[in-house]
Parts: sequence; structure tokens; C-alpha cells
Amino acid sequence: MSFTSSKVTPWEQRRQRPAKGKSGKELAHESAEKHVLGTAVYIDDMPEVDGTLHAVVGKSTIPCGEITRLDLSGVWASPGVVDVITVKDIPGDIDISPAFTGDLILADGRVEFIGQALFAVVAETFDQAKRAVNAAVVEYKEEEAILDVKEALKRDSFVNPTHTMTEGDVEAALQSAPLSVSGEMYVRGQEQFYLETQISYALPGEDGSVKVFSSTQHPSEVQKLVAEVLDVPVNYVQVEVRRMGGGFGGKETQAAQWSALAAVFATRLNRPVKMRLDRQDDMVLTGKRHDFLNRFKIGFNEEGVILGADIELASFCGYSADLSDAITDRAMFHVDNAYNLHDCRVIGHRCRTNTVSNTAFRGFGGPQGMILAECMLDDIARAVGKDPLDVRKLNYYQEGEHTHYGQPIEDYYLPELIATLEKNCDYRQRRADIAEFNKTSQWKKRGLALTPVRFGISFTTTFLNQAGALIHIYTDGSIHLNHGGTEMGQGLYTKVAQVVANEFAVDIDMVRVSATTTDKVPNTSATAASSGSDLNGKAAQNACITLKKRLVDFAVDYFKVSADDVRFENNHIVVTGSDGKEDWVSFAEFVNLAYVNRVSLSTTGFYKTPDIHYDPKAERGKPFLYYAFGATCAEVEIDTLTGEYKILRADILHDVGQSLNPAIDIGQVEGAFVQGTGWLTSEELLWDDRGRLASASAATYKIPTSVDIPQVFNVELFNRPAAADTIYHSKAVGEPPLMHGIAVFCALRDAVASVADYKVSPQLDTPATPERILNAVMACQGTAE
Amino acid sequence: MIRFNLNGRWIESSEIDPNCTILKYLRTNLKQVDVKEGCAAGDCGACTLMLGEMTEHGIEYRTINSCIALMAQVHNRYLLTPSGIGRPGNLHPAQQAMIDTHGSQCGFCTPGFIMSMANLYQNACINETQALTDAEIHAALSGNLCRCTGYRPIIDAAKQMAELPRVDVRDISARSGVQAFDPAAADTAEALQEKDGHRLFMPYTEAQLQALLKAYPDARLWAGGTDIGLEVTQRFSQFDTIICVNRIPELAQCLAAGQDMGDQLWLGAGVTFSQAETALADSFPSFAQLLHRIGSRQIRNMGTLGGNIANASPIGDTPPVFLALAATLEIDGIQGRREVPLKDFYLGYKQTVMQPGEYLRAIRISPLGAGESLTTYKISKRYDDDISAVMFALYLNVQDGLITEARLACGGMAATPLLAAKTNAALTGKPFTLETFTAAAACIEQDYQPLSDVRASDRYRLQVTRNLLTKAFIELSQKGEAA
Repeated sequence: MSFTSSKVTPWEQRRQRPAKGKSGKELAHESAEKHVLGTAVYIDDMPEVDGTLHAVVGKSTIPCGEITRLDLSGVWASPGVVDVITVKDIPGDIDISPAFTGDLILADGRVEFIGQALFAVVAETFDQAKRAVNAAVVEYKEEEAILDVKEALKRDSFVNPTHTMTEGDVEAALQSAPLSVSGEMYVRGQEQFYLETQISYALPGEDGSVKVFSSTQHPSEVQKLVAEVLDVPVNYVQVEVRRMGGGFGGKETQAAQWSALAAVFATRLNRPVKMRLDRQDDMVLTGKRHDFLNRFKIGFNEEGVILGADIELASFCGYSADLSDAITDRAMFHVDNAYNLHDCRVIGHRCRTNTVSNTAFRGFGGPQGMILAECMLDDIARAVGKDPLDVRKLNYYQEGEHTHYGQPIEDYYLPELIATLEKNCDYRQRRADIAEFNKTSQWKKRGLALTPVRFGISFTTTFLNQAGALIHIYTDGSIHLNHGGTEMGQGLYTKVAQVVANEFAVDIDMVRVSATTTDKVPNTSATAASSGSDLNGKAAQNACITLKKRLVDFAVDYFKVSADDVRFENNHIVVTGSDGKEDWVSFAEFVNLAYVNRVSLSTTGFYKTPDIHYDPKAERGKPFLYYAFGATCAEVEIDTLTGEYKILRADILHDVGQSLNPAIDIGQVEGAFVQGTGWLTSEELLWDDRGRLASASAATYKIPTSVDIPQVFNVELFNRPAAADTIYHSKAVGEPPLMHGIAVFCALRDAVASVADYKVSPQLDTPATPERILNAVMACQGTAE
Repeated sequence: MIRFNLNGRWIESSEIDPNCTILKYLRTNLKQVDVKEGCAAGDCGACTLMLGEMTEHGIEYRTINSCIALMAQVHNRYLLTPSGIGRPGNLHPAQQAMIDTHGSQCGFCTPGFIMSMANLYQNACINETQALTDAEIHAALSGNLCRCTGYRPIIDAAKQMAELPRVDVRDISARSGVQAFDPAAADTAEALQEKDGHRLFMPYTEAQLQALLKAYPDARLWAGGTDIGLEVTQRFSQFDTIICVNRIPELAQCLAAGQDMGDQLWLGAGVTFSQAETALADSFPSFAQLLHRIGSRQIRNMGTLGGNIANASPIGDTPPVFLALAATLEIDGIQGRREVPLKDFYLGYKQTVMQPGEYLRAIRISPLGAGESLTTYKISKRYDDDISAVMFALYLNVQDGLITEARLACGGMAATPLLAAKTNAALTGKPFTLETFTAAAACIEQDYQPLSDVRASDRYRLQVTRNLLTKAFIELSQKGEAA
């Protein structure tokens, strides 16, 4: 050890204080400095290998029909074009479905939606490829298309069979209920709008192998699908991703197509091929959050206590199954949110339409189910003339009850969390103030809502709940960390590195995270379902435990002490001798000592979530290890002349268990809330009557800007260690807080209801654009046309 | 040949296609990948850069969307990128503050935010001791979309950066010396750029522009480029001949009434929205407030009043206002100068009275006198950085409680920006009362037959326009302006 990097502070100094950057502490994102300098490398920023070509696809212009002519001679003749392929040129499997069948790499004789990829072209430059695709001559025999959920329901057009979850006797419960309301709510989808669009870069290797850099949340699946498309064994393909410029679910399954096309070209031509979708292509070619058509009838007593509910959900899946089956299930799992629906039936249809195949988006169906629960509770409150929060309180689950899919209610401290928020945000006083304001203000009206979030954590497909990690310790004590989780901005790499630093009691700068790649940790699950740190944190911890045991065993042998006499502290290994004297050996020195004594300093770690099971046939089980909780109080003001509105204030209290990194967790909560608010307010996904995406650009699809966030914005973590045996008793944080945005929607509806003195529960679909708000106001005023 | 300064280094090239954007050149040719492409349409701000220009006060910077700006825009100017204004361990205050507040998550939008914040810092912090206001911060950031953070930490970073040790980025731009540039010495009859049959000319005077128009009457005029830039980046079109009209000082002047132009305010067609925000703040506060909501800071730094009028979009935000103000246009070119009232300018969807070889020179409006008012409303799904569903502009002259003159004009309601003739007639000569406005609102449907599109339905457009008349009455009454 003659040389020590200047990046490493001297060990003597490290001994004097606890290790830095441990788990549970605020710590900047591992790439923060690179982010602000613009030097964090995304795939499009990688130095291009000489000879790199650029791929673009040609798109269908009709929603449904047979391709009768596909003349690509003009494409071939376009400047810069090197190669053009159709489905016939795919060497292996043309189906790239993640779970079922029907997602095709390129259209095979027929088209199923406007924008479907018909062929692909590579050219010397991206612009040349973009221009070349326009030279294709395509003719179709058009067939009647199914373009919306209602039409699909009418025609029994489904991508998967309908599921039904049943609890008790819903017919009897609804018949005997003194009161009931029924209704229908259309919940629109959402474009992920990750800032970095889909991109893959394929480099050909020997023997027909390929290395693919893919902006994906699921490298293992991309690897498998690329191999199948190329007709090679999976070990011929390596997929790597260092970071994504956002994912939000949109890069869980839908990165595979572009990776596979790039890989086909790369291996055909033996040249590097980059496939980047520009924004306009990304919006048209990739799936989004599902629209849902929700119908319900709910029975309750005069107090507002729910007695039974009959609920029917129908999701807008697009032309293929993709992940729609699990997404619709998750909507069904979350229609109760915090409340016991008692006798109920929940039906979930998966509607097949001639539109792009919808896919994962943060919440994965949960939000579309949960918003129905909250709107139903508001409807009940207005029917019985009570404050909506009081009606919610009457209906919380109690410990010992179970959900409509049979999961027992345990560790249910959500009511306590809500009560804390209610007090902290001064709910009652503000409710009174708003009532007063609305009495005197003729045109501007205010609304308030306090809504909870209860979100189930685990992949509902049980086998996906597994993860792996790989850790090397080098002879200078520096640690190389790799795991199957991907970094999309959520801070996973930071959190898992903190876990490792924590385990060895070393400074965080000793731990270097490396790009997720399929040849280091194989057969991984997608970084999805909020599971990233739960699964990979535990897998990394298990690897640490293995290495620590080896190191302790070595120390026992070497220093002739017992295992209890060896501990990791302040970047050192502390060995207590029989005389009680402590020997402090720096981590670097000790590791090197272990090395020269031939101790293996590399290992893998594996984790599988215990104690979860689900029987899809019976629709019963315990699909979730635990639930993450939260609640938000939102206050809004609407202009009853225009339907415009402002979010005056939002107070959020969110449960992440014992936080792994409060700064990152707060960031997740705030970001998710704003994203959820965007989904329910300004972000309107629209298709025209031909099935063409009308909101297909940043000019027509409006995600929130900095002025759209609440004028007063208070976010706090409810710091209570999780009861479940999660990594350091933390809880998952990726998806749950998105549903805090529902409070804003309910507050808007509350403001509209004030126009009719809260006697009417306004019909309001999502998103609540100014137009929808104005229409709802006029309906309440009885002035609608 | 294009010559420009990138992070303190002078670069020259004769090999740049006139249609090449700054973003493309930086990323593809110079491998300067710290600037990102998020939308290639000027909507997301990931590509934001600081563009510096030598003035009598030294280099002055503004932010631009480099994705839709041509390389000609940087000729003889100074560009700064995120990795140019800071180094690891020696960060710009905007960068340090962003780390301290945990303002980056995926990091893809971050370089663009850093540029917007650093520009704000350069213009508002280096010589000031006062804290930035929320309004200043939002105005600087409204053109930068972030999908991860929810903005709170970024806004906090913008507040905190002013407290960090001062950095002046002019020192970076001037690292290898500033180079004097004399527009008078430029041979503007020669193309500034010529490649693959595409040419770009850059006149510095109106006379030079007129000479070029004589030679190339079909050339594409490029002012801010915030609209036609999209033809290059979204449709992948290429123009054969481009004449840049944004370096002509005469066209970028705002002359107050009494300054040369008699009793009218003279606004050069090349005045940017940002310049107009300042120029109109006192005389037309309602107009200036509207300008804050056009596009984003980056777009307002590029887009021009003349471009907004001449591209004849039915959803441009300023034409309805100018119609309400009875603006007169000055058009010049190979046929000589002429004046056209704006109300006679539009012939149909994206069509105007302008002929090949002509250019829009200026817009003239009369200041408001006693009893006169201007009210503007912009209705859109999102408050900032959105396109109008309805743009509403109402000029009223109320004398002794009587409306003597009324001009409502709307955008988004017809194939062109259009005056509401029947509504205006119904207002004129009537008492300034709610009844008058309610009665006039019934005429809206006769004046406009709007379309349904992605921004709003036809019914909403009509309804909200009627309601805005009510709103205008209420607000004018409250202000007491017209009572």
C-alpha cells in the first residue's frame, strides 16, 4: 500500500468519527455533481464508436387493417440509408411480449394501431433516417377499429379474461342498505414523459453476440427478448444501463423493442447501431398509463357507514396484453384504499382497443382504483350531509379485518397518521374558514380535501420478488457494488450504497456503484413496483453479511479471539483481545491482510421476499408484504367563470418506515405528488376519432411547471419503523406518494360542490382541466347547456 | 463562416449547414453532450444554454432553447454550457445550491435548469444584495420541465444560490479574449453559411435586408425561429435560403409615443417578447402581464412580436391584443413601404396580405388615455408555457359611464385572430353595466364558430369567452377604471 488515492481521506482521521453517509442519513444523490455539470452520461451521451448508424421506424397511419402493399424502394434510395428491414428479416422470434403474447417487434401483415412500427431503417445520420421513412409507400385494407373502452366492452374485446374478486354477499348488502349512490367515472391515462426518451445502443460482438446499452428498467428482460429476436442463447447478449433520464414505468417493458431492433441491425451489418426515439416518436410509439372506465354502486347507512359495493373497472389496454393483466389487478386491489367495503364485488375488464399498448406507470393501476374509492367516499359524505373526513373516519379498516382479496389488516396505523395530519394542518379551522369564504365570494370558490393513501408493496406476481447483488472488496478497502436494480433518478444506487457502507461501517466514499449489467447479476426483476431498495437493499445486505462473516472468521483465526470480540466501527475493524485491549485496524489494512491470507473478498447476495402468496384463480391471498401509508390535505381555489384554478396549499404526511435517506425520500414524495397532481389536472391524453394520439407533443400535453405546485407546500415523513422485516425497517417510496395528488382532485370537486351548497356531488372525470371544472360548475348551477 | 465562443474558446467553421441547430452542432459535431435534447421543440428546456452578446455594458446573457435555434444565432456571440461554468470541486453557485437542496433526481433536465438559474444569477444576483422573489424565480424556470422532483428543491436552490460566493461567468467567456466585431465590415451580400445548396444571409441594416430580398424574394425570413424552428426539428425540413432578420438594430427598437413617431408607440417587428415585457410594463400593464405567460423565458428571449403577427397562426397570443388596440403595421420590401391596419392583415388560415419580398417592419399602437382600458385573459390547460385555448383581449373606451368604443378580439376562436364585430357593436354606445356585457355576450356565437381540438371543445371556447366578458366587467368595475 504505497499509494493512496487523494479521493480517500486518511484512515487515522476516519477512526476519530462515525462513518459518513451511512444508511438513514441525508446524503446527496451519488450522481448529483455530475447532474449539475451535465457530465452524467446517458446513453446518447456515450462516445459513439466510429461507424455508428442510426435507426428509425416507419409507422402505420391507420388504426386497424391489413397491409396490402409495403413498397420500400424509396426508403432504400434515400440519402444515407444503409439497411431497411421488415418483420421478415427478423432472425428469431418476432413476438416480444413480456408475459403473454401479441406484442410484435414489427407489424406482421396487419396493423393494430396508428403509429405501429411497420419497418425499420438505418442511415448514417439520425436526420437521414427520419427523412427516409417518409419515402415508404404503404397501402392498407382498412378494417373497423375499436377505439375506446365502451366500444370494447360492447364487443367483448379483451386482451385477457375478466377477473372478479368477491367478498360476502353484495346483492343482499346493497338491497338492505338504507342508502346508496351509483355512478360512473372516466379516469384518463397519463404519458410518462421521462425527459430522456427511449434509447438503445447496440455494439456487435463475436459469434453473433451483442452488447446493448439500453435505457431500461428491466435489463434482464431486454436481454432475454433480444436473444429470442436474434435466435441466439441468452448468454450471447449483454445488456447494460448506468442510468435513465427518468423511467416511471415507461421503460419497464417498452424499451425492449428498440433494443431488439438496434441489435438486429448491429448483428446484420456488424456495425454499432443507435436507436433513439425522438419525442414525437416516443409519444406515439410507446404505451402510457391506462385510462379506466369505473362504474360503481355503493350502499351505506344514514351515518355514512359503507355496507356493500359493486364495482366494475374497465382498463384501456390498447392492442396487446403487455402488463395490462397485472395493472388491472392492482386497480382492483386498491379500490378499497383505506376503507372496508364489506360485502363487495370488484370486476376488472381488460379492454382491447386499436391503440398503442398501454403499460406500467408509477402506481401501476393502483391510482385508477384508489381515486374511485376517494370519490365514492365524497359522494357518501354529500349524500348524508357530513364532512367528507368524518365519513372517511367511519369507514377505516380495523385491525383483524381483511381486504376483499383476503389479506389480513395488520400494523394499520393509517388512522393515527391521518389524525396527526388533520391536527397539524388545522383541517377543522380551515374547513370553517373556507365555508365562510365561499359564502361571501361570488366568483371564486375554495375547496378542501384530506385523503389517505394505502398502497400494497410487492410484485403481485409473487416470483418476481427476488433480487441479487454482487460485491467485491479490493485490497485497498474500496468496495465495488453491483445489483440488479436500475437507477432512474429515484436514488436507488445511493440508498443501496448506504446500506453497504452501513454494514461495513465505512465511509460512503469507499463504496462505488457500477452500471447495472446482466453479466454481473443475472435473472433480475424489473426495477418496478417500488421494490428497488426493498429487494436490492436486502440482497446487498446479504452479500455484506456473507463477506463480513468471512472477515470475522479470518480475524478469529488470525487474532485468536472469539467472533464476539470483532466488530466493524469507524472505518476500522476493532479486535478486543483477552486482556480487554482494543486493536484498531483500518478497513484497508485489514482487508489486505485477509487477502494475503487468501480470503475470498467477492460474493453475491440474494433475497426473496418472505411470507407472500396469492392464488390468482381464487383471487385470494396475501399478495403484499406490507402497505405504505400517507395522507394529504389540499386546498384549492377555482374561478367559476373560467374553470381555472390554483392549488393554494398542500400538507403531506407520508410513511416510509424508517427512512434510508430522508432527503431522497422527501424528493420522491414531492415529485410523486406533483406528478399525480399533473395526471389529475393539466395532463390530458387525447385520441382523435381516428384513433390518432392528439396530445402527441410537449406543446399539447402539459405536465406541471414550477408555478403549478402548491403555493404553500409542507411535506413530512411519518418516521415509524416498519413492522415487516424490510431493509432496516424502511418502506418502499416510489409509487405510493403519487396518489397524494388525489387530494387535489377531491378538493377541486369540493370547490365545485360548494356552488350547490354541497348538496350535489359533481360529475367530474379526470383530468380536471379548466373546461371540465367549468362544465361541472355549470351542472351544479343548473346552467349547463 | 460561423465564429463563436464556447465556454471561453473561440471556434470557427465554414462547414455548418444553415439548417443546423445549435443543439445538434454541439452534441453531434463538437461532442459537447452536457446539453440535452428533451423535446426538440422548445417546450421542455433540457437544451437551455446561456447566449452572451457583447454590449456597451460588457457581455450580456440570456437563455435560449438551443434545440430550435440555428447556429447563425451564435455567430460572434458567446455560449455557455453547464460544464463550462463549473468544474468538479469548483461549482457555479447555481450548481452548488442544486446539490445542497437535492434538486436533481434523474438529472436529465438538470443541465437546462442550471443554465436558467445561472442566467438568473448572472443578471439578478452578482450586483444585487436583495433576495430573488418567487416571481423572478418562476419566470426564469417556467420553461424548464422536471418530471422527477416536483420543483420545490429547485426553487429552494434558486433562492439559496444568491447566498453563495460570487461568480461572474463573463470571466469564463472572456478566458481567451473578447473579439471585436464590426457589423459594418461584414459583406452581407455574401452568404454567412453555405452548404449542400443551402444558404443563410445575415443583414445588419434594413437596406441590406431589402437588397437581399430583391435578390432572393422567396427566401425564408428567420426572426426568433420559435415557430419555424420546429419545421427543421419536427418535420426535418430544410430551407434552401434563409435570411436572418434578428440582427437589425432598427427593427429591434421600441419607441415611446412622442419619440419620432408622433402620438403612437412604435414597436419594431424584431422586438422580442422579453424586450416587450419591459417596454410595455408601464403603458400597457395588462399586455405586459400577458407577455409573462407567452412560452417561457427562453422562448420570450427568442420570439419576436413581428414573428408572432406575421406567421398568422390563429393561436398567437399577441395578435388579438394588437387587434383590440387597433394596431397599424408597417410593411416594407421590394415594393416599397406601406401601412396596413392589422384588422385587414389576415386573409385566412396562415395567410396574410404580405407578398414575397416583403417584411414586417413595425407595429404601431396608441397609448391609452383617460377612460380607455385594455383587459387580456389567456385560457389554457397549464398556466405557464402553454398555448391558448382562448386568447381574449378587450379594449374599451368609457366616458361618463357610456362605452364609446369597444374592441374585443380573440385568438383560438377562428381561422385567424379576429375582432368580434357583432359583440363590439352590442357594447358600443351602451352604458357600462353588467346588463350591457351580458347582452353583448349573446353575440359571441355570431362572431365566432370555433373548432374542437386538443386544447378545448368548441362549446367551452364559446362559453368561456362569454364568461370572460362578465369577468372583464367585474374586474374593471372593481378597479374603478371605467366606472
